[in-house]
Amino acid sequence: MPELTSASLPASRTLAPNPTAAISVRGLTKRFGSFTAVDAIDFDVARGEIFGFLGPNGSGKTTTIRMLTGAIAPQAGSVLILGDDVVSQPELVKRRIGYMSQKFSLFEDMTVDENLRFYAGVYDLPAEKFAAQRAYVLRMADLVGRENELTANLSVGWKQRLALGTATIHEPELLFLDEPTSGVDPVARRHFWDLLYELAGRGVTLFVTTHYMEEAAQCGRLAFMYAGRLIAEGSPREIRERYLRECGPLDTAGSAAKTPSIEDVFVHLVSREREEASR
Amino acid sequence: MNAKRIRLLIWKEFLQLRRDPLLLRLLFLMPVLQLVMMGYVVGADVKNLSTAVVDLDHSVVSRRLAASFASSGYFVITARPAEESALRPLLDRGDVKVALVIPEGTSRRLSAGGSVPVGIVVDGSDSRIASVGGGYASQLIAAFNAKLIAEQGLTVSGPGIDARVRVEFNPSLRAVNSMIPGLIATILVLSMSVIMSQAVVRERERGTLEQMFVTPISRGDYLVGKLTPYVLIGIVQMSIVAFIGRVWFQVPFNGQLWVVVLGLFLFMLTTVALGLLISLVSHTRQQAQQTVMFIMIPFMVLSGFIFPVASMPPAIVPITYLIPLRYAVDFLRGTFVKGAGVRELAVPLLAMAGFAAALLGFAVASFHKRLSD
Repeated sequence: MPELTSASLPASRTLAPNPTAAISVRGLTKRFGSFTAVDAIDFDVARGEIFGFLGPNGSGKTTTIRMLTGAIAPQAGSVLILGDDVVSQPELVKRRIGYMSQKFSLFEDMTVDENLRFYAGVYDLPAEKFAAQRAYVLRMADLVGRENELTANLSVGWKQRLALGTATIHEPELLFLDEPTSGVDPVARRHFWDLLYELAGRGVTLFVTTHYMEEAAQCGRLAFMYAGRLIAEGSPREIRERYLRECGPLDTAGSAAKTPSIEDVFVHLVSREREEASR
Repeated sequence: MNAKRIRLLIWKEFLQLRRDPLLLRLLFLMPVLQLVMMGYVVGADVKNLSTAVVDLDHSVVSRRLAASFASSGYFVITARPAEESALRPLLDRGDVKVALVIPEGTSRRLSAGGSVPVGIVVDGSDSRIASVGGGYASQLIAAFNAKLIAEQGLTVSGPGIDARVRVEFNPSLRAVNSMIPGLIATILVLSMSVIMSQAVVRERERGTLEQMFVTPISRGDYLVGKLTPYVLIGIVQMSIVAFIGRVWFQVPFNGQLWVVVLGLFLFMLTTVALGLLISLVSHTRQQAQQTVMFIMIPFMVLSGFIFPVASMPPAIVPITYLIPLRYAVDFLRGTFVKGAGVRELAVPLLAMAGFAAALLGFAVASFHKRLSD
């Protein structure tokens, strides 16, 4: 049976880090005791790209994001974020990136306005800039008139949009989103992605992890992570075509062959890796 | 570190505290509640001890001695058995706690310039009554002696009833006087470590800690911004206790203010670091709470706050040196009651400085490590 091999990944990734990329990662490694969470991965994310980062739970996605944002330090490898080294220049990098995690890490016991004010202060936004950004976020998150409400009282969709608003209050050039839509209803999710497209349209680079394959299909480029390694990389179309080329058309029990979805490719890759590991 | 960001973090912390009315109320009710408990219950003076007098002398002197017991306020004469053998059942039943036995011939021997052994029997089943009751009795007898000598115009060295105990520093033996200074330290360790331990772990649970560390907020900013509000609250709490202690319970203050402030500052760093450490080893708020409970029991029992270290079994005493609260209690009693200066208090001061430095260093180091894993 033909298989996707790692040789099908672009060869360029072993080269020196690319300072013009939004993210350029080489040999990034993180071990927790004897467990290797992230195993010498390389990848580049171009500026302005929507980059989807996929993988089953526990594959090392969140650990990778935490290293990229400078929250934790890698054991080996280099990370250039917007041309700066995140390990040696964390402060510089942190001013230019935003981060929204799977938990809505707003201060629930503070009001909408207080949350905005806090993060604006953290990034040292001048008053008139803050006024403009605040107005924008309130409109975007549909929270005009609810500025003095406690964040805890907002429903999930609103919280999520407010979290996006606070994460982007300083207009970052690069935004990390770690499963931003988990637990959100389909309508709110669609709405949320419209907001992400709007950000991308303004030139913001987006680095997104998700378990929703229809969301993955909307990304410009994808990387699949499994057991701490990258097992495939490319645009959704490239990934599907490579799969077709190597595995042949999808055989769906008697019915006509159909184009594989991202989910098909994902499931195929993960189960193949599992088989290999058990062998 | 950035002063503006630290101010922002402090603002945020107070805002969140204000939204937690229960915690806020607890923070200020706790010292008051403890004051009432410690001041009126634990620290209550031993008074109105039911007392039996066995007067075998039946003289003016013996009656006067018994009367001086009755009028002291500490003893209430509830029984006057005719002989000593009747005492035992009274004590056994708990009818009397103290007995005074004036032997036959007391008056005669005193007039002859001799000395007389007066018997004081104390119910030892309650060690506090035993020691305090015994102490009062000895004092009364000493005072009575002095009066006798003065009246008789005698300057001879020998005669009198020979029981002499001098209680230094706290002559009225008011328990409150040593309870309140100890309470200042105890309240500090209770509230600081409890609240500090919750403060960081709560933020970790909610994910806001993670969020803050992808912003330019540095670890130093965060720590200073987190500790400062609680240090301020601790200062307010201590002031409440000191004020009520001074004004309501009339605890004398014989020490120097700057020495007290120095010692309390060192101890405050210790408690804050302890809370921070607990917060770092705990994954959930419940764990933090359990850990605090686990630590507080040896703190209370072994610090000498309630039970004197001197009366602990020798095997336990070395452990008390590991309890930071012990030094704080020693220090505060030393300065409040005895008015001791820096030199006399060097040992507890240095010990507190050592604990503060070690715990704070350890807490900061594990805070860094914890966040980078």
